[in-house]
Amino acid sequence: MKHDPTQVSASPGDASWDPIPTDPSHRAYVTMLFNRHRLALQRYLMRLVPPDDAAELVQESYYRLLRHGEMVRIDAMARSFLFQTATNLARDHHRRRASHRAALHVPIEDEEISEDHLGPDEQLAGEQTRALLERAIAELPQDTRTVFLLHRFRELTYPQIADVMSLSARTVARKMAEAIERLSAAVSGAT
Amino acid sequence: MSLPRGDLKAADWFAQVRSGEMDPDSEQSWLRWIKDDAHQRSLEDCELAWELAAELRNTPTLAALLAGADSLTARRRAAAARRTWRAPAWQLGIAASFIAVGAIAWLFLKGPATTEYRTAVGEQHTVLLPDGSSVVLNTDSLMRVALSKHLRHIELLRGEALFSVSHDPGRPFEVHALQGITTAVGTQFDVEITRAGAAVSVLEGTVTVGGGAAGTSAPAVAVAAGSGVGYTQEGAVSDLRPAEVNRIEGWRTQRMVFNDIPLASALEEYNRYTRTPIVLSSPALGSRRINGVFHIGDEAAFLSALDVGLHLKAAKGDAQTVLKPEAGYSP
Repeated sequence: MKHDPTQVSASPGDASWDPIPTDPSHRAYVTMLFNRHRLALQRYLMRLVPPDDAAELVQESYYRLLRHGEMVRIDAMARSFLFQTATNLARDHHRRRASHRAALHVPIEDEEISEDHLGPDEQLAGEQTRALLERAIAELPQDTRTVFLLHRFRELTYPQIADVMSLSARTVARKMAEAIERLSAAVSGAT
Repeated sequence: MSLPRGDLKAADWFAQVRSGEMDPDSEQSWLRWIKDDAHQRSLEDCELAWELAAELRNTPTLAALLAGADSLTARRRAAAARRTWRAPAWQLGIAASFIAVGAIAWLFLKGPATTEYRTAVGEQHTVLLPDGSSVVLNTDSLMRVALSKHLRHIELLRGEALFSVSHDPGRPFEVHALQGITTAVGTQFDVEITRAGAAVSVLEGTVTVGGGAAGTSAPAVAVAAGSGVGYTQEGAVSDLRPAEVNRIEGWRTQRMVFNDIPLASALEEYNRYTRTPIVLSSPALGSRRINGVFHIGDEAAFLSALDVGLHLKAAKGDAQTVLKPEAGYSP
């Protein structure tokens, strides 16, 4: 379902525009979550798309969460879901832009893009960021890298990784933190 | 996780959230921590790194690293299978993919027999080999694998495969296709059997390509990353040319990437993935140019793009779909 783009300026909490039947408690939770993380989200999106598009994607993320139905009401997890949703929307947006430039248009499906099947047009990372990130992953200590790869790309949970690698779940969490710390250092300068 | 909460850094919090172990207590600490703007910013770096890393999935470097991580889970799975028939649900998916390609898993455990892998038209499968290498078989392909102590012998009889070879200087990895042999030690490359012969593209490292038939005297050609060669049915090797990076990245992500190529070439590629090929009512139409990215198997989207962009109408039959120029638009 697509919303009318002319309505994008409606602000969160604005009950005058609400085509989505929403459970009031879900709506209240999403609005609270959104108000708490809105600035961070906007800042984050501005590193991925031009500023005007970022503002639009912030709104779109809010509506997407409203439509999503129930979500885990633990702030840290909900925030991570919010950022993931926003990133997917940014990819979608990027792809739309790219396909406008192509001579033949690829029809844009309404479903969210799965990150498993990213085409060249949906990449948000610039050449330099990709190179830095790729090198940072390759240079992770081997165990740390394996933990990261299995969690990121094979969707194994910490206990599953612990089992495969004969480590404790605690060690897996510590290695994940180490991996993320190093990779975040690699992208920290990226806009 | 019982780290002292006050000392948690952004990456620690990120890792803890991903563990799924957040209770109302840790949520309270988290809410206090996130109030600090510097904390927010370092968390955004973590989130950015996590999201952008996803986009590297299909780069040669990541594919090779992933193949290494996969071989670890494959070994573990094989060990678990020997101990007991019960496997956790997450391992069943990996097991199922072995069964799906028709491999008989216990052959692996019993010795260097030849194992055959095949994909149907429109199907793709990733095969993890016991040496840590991985092979992605494209549509309508047939491959035989025999691993011995001193040689990894692969025979590609039909179709196309992308090889990520684990490094083992003592055991060359040889891909035999038609009358040519591509030899690697540890690298990533693609071999496609085409109508005219075979095409080799190297994505990482270096391979050598040479004619395998008796009487071929030409020396093997070294092909480095970013380059490729073709060879004829008889094994005569062409000059170096650029590797088909875009096409290979495309099929690996179930997409066809057409960058201003003749319609005839695009249809040839499209028809590799379908049992009801699309043909042209007149060969002259084949010289029209086409651009775009299409999901493999999404016939409706492809036909509608041809309709809108090139004014070609599709007439569907049982055996094939014929494209005709729309009335009023002559070729």
